[in-house]
Amino acid sequence: MSGTWYYVFTLVFFFFDYFILAMGLNIQYGETGILNFAYIGFVAIGAYMTGVLSLPSSAGTGQYYILGLSLPFPVNLLLGGLSASAFAVLVALIALRRLRTDYLAMVLISLSLVLYDISNNYVPLFNGADGLYNVPEPFAGALHLNTNSFIPVFAGVTGAIALLLWFVMSRVTRSPAGRTFRAIRDDDVVAAALGKDVFRQQLKSMIIGSFYAGIGGGLLIQFSGSFNPTAWLPGETFVVFAVILVGGVGNNIGLIVGSLLVETLLVHLPAFLPAIPGAPGLIEYFDAVVVGALLMAMLWFRPQGIVPERVRKAARMGARERPADGPGGLVGEDVAALAPAGARAGGRAR
Amino acid sequence: MTSVGPTGTTGTAPREAALRCEGITKAFQGVHAVNGAGFAVPRGLVTALIGPNGAGKTTLVNILSGSMTCDRGQELIGSTDVTNWPSHRIARMGLMRTFQLSRELGGLTVLENLLVAARDQAGEALWNIFLRPGLVRRQERDNIERALDLLETYGLYRLRDSRASDLSGGQKKLLEISRAVMASPSILLLDEPMAGVNPALIERIGGYILDLKRNGVTVLMIEHNLNVVEKICDHVIVLAEGRTLAEGRLSDLRQNEQVVRAYLGEVIDAGTVR
Ligand SMILES: Nc1ncnc2c1ncn2[C@@H]1O[C@H](COP(=O)(O)OP(=O)(O)OP(=O)(O)O)[C@@H](O)[C@H]1O
Ligand SMILES: [Mg+2]
Repeated sequence: MSGTWYYVFTLVFFFFDYFILAMGLNIQYGETGILNFAYIGFVAIGAYMTGVLSLPSSAGTGQYYILGLSLPFPVNLLLGGLSASAFAVLVALIALRRLRTDYLAMVLISLSLVLYDISNNYVPLFNGADGLYNVPEPFAGALHLNTNSFIPVFAGVTGAIALLLWFVMSRVTRSPAGRTFRAIRDDDVVAAALGKDVFRQQLKSMIIGSFYAGIGGGLLIQFSGSFNPTAWLPGETFVVFAVILVGGVGNNIGLIVGSLLVETLLVHLPAFLPAIPGAPGLIEYFDAVVVGALLMAMLWFRPQGIVPERVRKAARMGARERPADGPGGLVGEDVAALAPAGARAGGRAR
Repeated sequence: MTSVGPTGTTGTAPREAALRCEGITKAFQGVHAVNGAGFAVPRGLVTALIGPNGAGKTTLVNILSGSMTCDRGQELIGSTDVTNWPSHRIARMGLMRTFQLSRELGGLTVLENLLVAARDQAGEALWNIFLRPGLVRRQERDNIERALDLLETYGLYRLRDSRASDLSGGQKKLLEISRAVMASPSILLLDEPMAGVNPALIERIGGYILDLKRNGVTVLMIEHNLNVVEKICDHVIVLAEGRTLAEGRLSDLRQNEQVVRAYLGEVIDAGTVR
């Protein structure tokens, strides 16, 4: 395979992977209004867990990590996603139940810093600053892939997973559950007054979103075979935020546009550009600036994103068209009850 | 007043209370917003909660509906003690409330605002979405029809696909009420449902409240306009400085010197002029 195709499929992989990550953050923030500034932490948990579940026991590998169960590919990935969800339950029970919006956001930022420090410094967990490497390649035995053929195959697998997850997510967001999430996003006091258990719904949204985060992370470590703290600086959360804010919050099509534009074109494509002579690494720093500037410009000029949230019309929900507005609900006698001075309202039997 | 309510009791004989509270107290940094208020809301009637600005009426509605907890006191729905229950559990007991300053779910359409309020939606559980899609779809279809019926009744059908944030003030008031009604409440707390709307709409909203009463809903409404109170409320509770000052029919309260001094004195004229 030529170098160009290698680049193209790498970009395809990152596009699909960030689409998955964007869907997960979108259900939390875009649909439910939870400002999860620790999102990248959940991605990391998914990645590390997927890694240690597929690596063999750590004895003699020169790495230090927990588990090491040599589980085969989709199983480790699934468990990686579930690990992120399980962690979400823990976080929700501690922080989400008591705190709302801005305070929660601050706690979550701190949390992602804590997670980062632990993974970076506590070696027995995920091999500390060196991170995990030599993670077994999926299907290695079954398909006899070499380094070159692995990339397009795995980009395809990631695409298939993204499609499946998209199908599931759009079913959820179109359902009454999705509507209840959006009600909580718009006003949690009202949602509670309408009988919604806000914490329970937020917990549900955290679990689903974190599962997507974990799967996205698991695919990352399987794609590159390694994962270490430099791969998930806490600021990476904001790249995912940029993806959903630029593309359009609360809209799956917007997430595709955002993933393509922000992640694929702005973050990853420049990495393949030839370095500027005399300034190695400048391009890499530069794309953080471009993403930041784009985010600000979007929030300023088009806060609803490139593809705004769709208005869910009655007709599209399958409602039959009705002739016109009704009479305004007033039966004649009610008006009579209000108008004449003597007429008393309560005096009518059923 | 010889009112014959849905339960068939007549006259002024004490009715069964749909909602009762006693000794409710709430302080904000030392300010006693509610200070020992207690009363009973008779089942099947329209009751007014009146009192000067700052008397603690809204705070009381917040407490009774669970949007806020109280420092002391007791609340009963029927015979169930629901003191300081969370909002959603009180709502599931059949108590719905509206807000003095309309709080629409702005990103949702008018129709969706109502649909959110529908009770016991199977489609809120994820497994139902995937394992019992037929049930979810059927229920959704019924809820949509019911919501559209309500929107027709409340004159909002034309606006069904508008984002709720785009509605006018009066339309938002109607949306608040119809959304609460969508949840089939047995008790409805309305916080100034007619504030800031034009006289024609006041008449209409009054008609809706009477419609609800005819359907057996117990209504407690905060209202400053005594004309409205006179015309649609069967029972009046006067709140002043966080305490229940008096209860009864408006005509009797007009004779009560304390009430007149605390509240009616200042508004009686304004009220009758409208
Ligand atoms: N969240 C709050 N924090 C601090 N003080 C509050 C709060 N809510 C209400 N108060 C105070 O409690 C008192 C009662 O307020 P409340 O809104 O219940 O009055 P109200 O009877 O509804 O008045 P109005 O007729 O003007 O609506 C006021 O003095 C108000 O300033
Ligand atoms: Mg008030």
